[in-house]
Amino acid sequence: MSATLTASLNPASSPDVAQRAELSAIDASTKAPALYFLGSSVLWLIVGTVFALIASFKMHSPTFLGDIEWLTFGRARTLHLNAVIYGWSVNASFAVALWLMARLSRAELRHAGLLLIAAIFWNVGVTVGMVGIAIGHSTSIEWLEFPAYATPILFFAYAFVGAWAVATFRFGRSKHIYVSQWYLLAALFWFPSLYGVAQVMLVFEPTRGTVQALVNWWFAHNVLGLWFTPIGLAAIYYFLPKVLGKPINSYYLSVLGFWSLAIFYNWAGVHHLIGGPVPVWVQTAGIAASFMMVVPVIVTGLNQHLTLVGSASALKYSPTLRFIVFGGVNYTLTSLAGSLMSMRSWAEITHFTHYTVGHAHHGMYAFFTMVMFGSIYYILPRILLKEWPSAKLISLHFWATAIGITIYVVGLSLGGILQGIATNMTHGPDASIIPYLSNADVKGIIEITLPYLQVRSYSGVLITIGHLAFAVNFVWMLVQPRPVGATAPTLFRPAPDLEAAR
Amino acid sequence: MSDDQKKSNLPPHVPAPQHERAEQAGANDQSIQKVHAILLREKEEPSEGFTPMPLFLLGIISTMILVCSIYVVHYRGDFDPLVYDHRYDAVAAKAAASGPKVLTPEQFVAAGKRQYATCVACHQASGLGVAGVYPPLAASEWVLGNEERLIRVLLHGLNGPIQVKGNTYNGLMPAFGKVPGGGYNWSNERIAQVLTYIRQEWGNTAAPITTEKVAEVLKAEAARTKPWTQDELKPFE
Amino acid sequence: MNRAPLIFLGIFFAIAFSWTGIVLTNHLGYAKLQPVFNEDEGKAFPQRLPGEAIRGKEVYRDLGCVYCHTQQVRHAGYGVDLERGWGERGSVARDYIHEKRVYLGTMRTGPDLRNVGARFAGEGGRDWHIQHFYDAQITSKGSIMPNYRFLFETRPIVGEPSPKAVQSKLPPQYQPPAGHEIVLTQRGEDLIAYLLALKDGPLGPDETSRLYVPKEEPKKEASQPEAAK
Repeated sequence: MSATLTASLNPASSPDVAQRAELSAIDASTKAPALYFLGSSVLWLIVGTVFALIASFKMHSPTFLGDIEWLTFGRARTLHLNAVIYGWSVNASFAVALWLMARLSRAELRHAGLLLIAAIFWNVGVTVGMVGIAIGHSTSIEWLEFPAYATPILFFAYAFVGAWAVATFRFGRSKHIYVSQWYLLAALFWFPSLYGVAQVMLVFEPTRGTVQALVNWWFAHNVLGLWFTPIGLAAIYYFLPKVLGKPINSYYLSVLGFWSLAIFYNWAGVHHLIGGPVPVWVQTAGIAASFMMVVPVIVTGLNQHLTLVGSASALKYSPTLRFIVFGGVNYTLTSLAGSLMSMRSWAEITHFTHYTVGHAHHGMYAFFTMVMFGSIYYILPRILLKEWPSAKLISLHFWATAIGITIYVVGLSLGGILQGIATNMTHGPDASIIPYLSNADVKGIIEITLPYLQVRSYSGVLITIGHLAFAVNFVWMLVQPRPVGATAPTLFRPAPDLEAAR
Repeated sequence: MSDDQKKSNLPPHVPAPQHERAEQAGANDQSIQKVHAILLREKEEPSEGFTPMPLFLLGIISTMILVCSIYVVHYRGDFDPLVYDHRYDAVAAKAAASGPKVLTPEQFVAAGKRQYATCVACHQASGLGVAGVYPPLAASEWVLGNEERLIRVLLHGLNGPIQVKGNTYNGLMPAFGKVPGGGYNWSNERIAQVLTYIRQEWGNTAAPITTEKVAEVLKAEAARTKPWTQDELKPFE
Repeated sequence: MNRAPLIFLGIFFAIAFSWTGIVLTNHLGYAKLQPVFNEDEGKAFPQRLPGEAIRGKEVYRDLGCVYCHTQQVRHAGYGVDLERGWGERGSVARDYIHEKRVYLGTMRTGPDLRNVGARFAGEGGRDWHIQHFYDAQITSKGSIMPNYRFLFETRPIVGEPSPKAVQSKLPPQYQPPAGHEIVLTQRGEDLIAYLLALKDGPLGPDETSRLYVPKEEPKKEASQPEAAK
């Protein structure tokens, strides 16, 4: 009824105004929780960036802030990791996942105010955990450093978010399950399973000996692979066709990509323990699974590439598309690099080196974080009904972070490879081939890697500039008054096609 | 199937319940502009195309699965939780476990080089020590001289002033043998290995030291409880 | 057709399968590992840490040492951990069975510490750690390890100088002002006790019989390339 009425009143708009009206209502229903999650994520991003810089500078200038116990490298690094993972990344994924789920299921978030409780609890949990680490209560279990007293709060908050997202899916009006929803549903189930098992088997009732290491890396790698990756891919699968206005290339490739990821990624984490005191058959299985990860990566990459082909010029205009495509390309690159790193002969060199650190940032930043940036550039105008105030700041944000993370990854990868070769060349005929790398003791190895650690700090400064541009734009957008009448999207440059949305 | 799905993906154009806001928005042009301005320029909600899977992809995937299966079988380590080396071979390992293990002279020296990692902190990788603090081992008369004296220094340690190559050092050598008060408790074999190594490295060319010889000295000095001094070692010059 | 239940089942089995394979089987497999008595040493290995060292491990945990130091030695022929003197043999699961928390680590900015107690032992080892923690540059010029001055306390001498004062072990430029002395805090003492206790015992027979044995003559051994020199 109202649909026809609307259409008759505004004949210039597209014929499916009713659908737009529905989307409008859905967006409005997500406003409160999404805004709260996004706001806190940006705050944690800045906090995490500050700790990142501190840790990075300490790595080549150990006396920098050297006598402050709570900022000693082992804690500053941990504070950085947890701020950007549980503060920035998870908060951002909550917002993006809820918004995507509501839109794709065609359901309003009901009683969204209650989700604010979850949002508050999550951020209280992260704050408690961060303070805990600073005062020396870290567990020193990688990716699970939050002290035991912080986790129940986080778990409670997660239960809310997870339940809400699944309920939204369940009660949605859409009969079709779009590929993004598979990824979201899977991630929503996998994360609490991983987190719960890891907490019980590592923090509350630690299992025996090196089984702890197995649980640790089963968890830590899967948080990347089974939480952040699916959320990132869900966002790409939504925004790529959305911005381009054409369907995803192939349903069949989507199916294959999803299920091969579900099967193989689960097993890949053991490659963090190659050569370690865990059964060699588990290591071998982990290596095989890591190698098989080439399948979902190629398939997903192909699917997205074939969707983009022919419309690549939109990259010139749309901030969302540019961030998302940068993230998507780096998903392919980092995953292929990861498969390579798990090979025994390659791991012999790069395991235990800065190469791994570079790789972790390649995945978590160049892929996931960039996709989240792109998503936020799209979502925020819809829930605030305002435009981004400055295209220049978006441009600065993109170039500073894109160039920064590229230097970061390339620099640390190089440094890591040299570090690994130097570590492995104490003797033998190889020693004479590259004299610069042979017979180095631990101090010599540090000397070799030092320039690359400095490059890391410079790239970190560049990334920080990008984050500040983003934060300024974000706050500016929040405080500016809502415009009256139709507004134009904030694009990098005027788009020939007016509908080229962000 | 594809038609069906495409259809189901489109909105049914029936207003959903609880759409008061949307309905209000439809009431006049002004509010449409206000509420929908950003949405109106949006493109369609995403959908899937149905391009068939390229055949070569299935070929590649099958090949990968085959390669991985071979890899897993090859490096399965017998699926034994106590196997940590991917090159493990059950048959060879059983055969080797039954025979006694004897090191070749080269392996003996190589093992000594590994033990020397502990000495590097003071005597340096070059064997030259640190001028005025830690005496050199290269071309040192203490290393190349009487093995009885050298073994004693390593077993029980050495304190007080010591002359090496004409320079005086303040001896702080810890006890490495299985002796009272020694923190290291090295086996006789390890001591023989590291001594053989330092006697044959950096241009040194003294005879190797055997495990039996170390054991003999340890037995002879069983009563000793404190480090040597240079004077006490005079008889063994 | 509602495919949600099917999708959920697949999602569930994917993670259940990996948990069973990676975690559960090894949880059961390693449950039966026991210490092994060694006749030569007259002791059972692995040994438990003394109480002071257990407290020291808590300091190791809260300062985040694990982010730069591993505690695992790779076996012969894979990496050169043995050649670097970080251990006499590769680490095995049995070495860790007494540990409430296992800090294998994934990063070697500094050396492996699994056997640091064998490299620095006794009174001399303790002195080395004191210098190294006070300022890593004293013992290792060019190191990027932070200073851990907060594990020490500089305090005025009240009455007799403390017998535990450590400034005599430090070079001249680190001496405290007159009338003051430097002592280790309890946390510092504990951490050093832990490092001095970090050391693996001999390999048990179950692991020895499962070592890799190259088939070729010893001359061509790939696992012992240092013998070639």
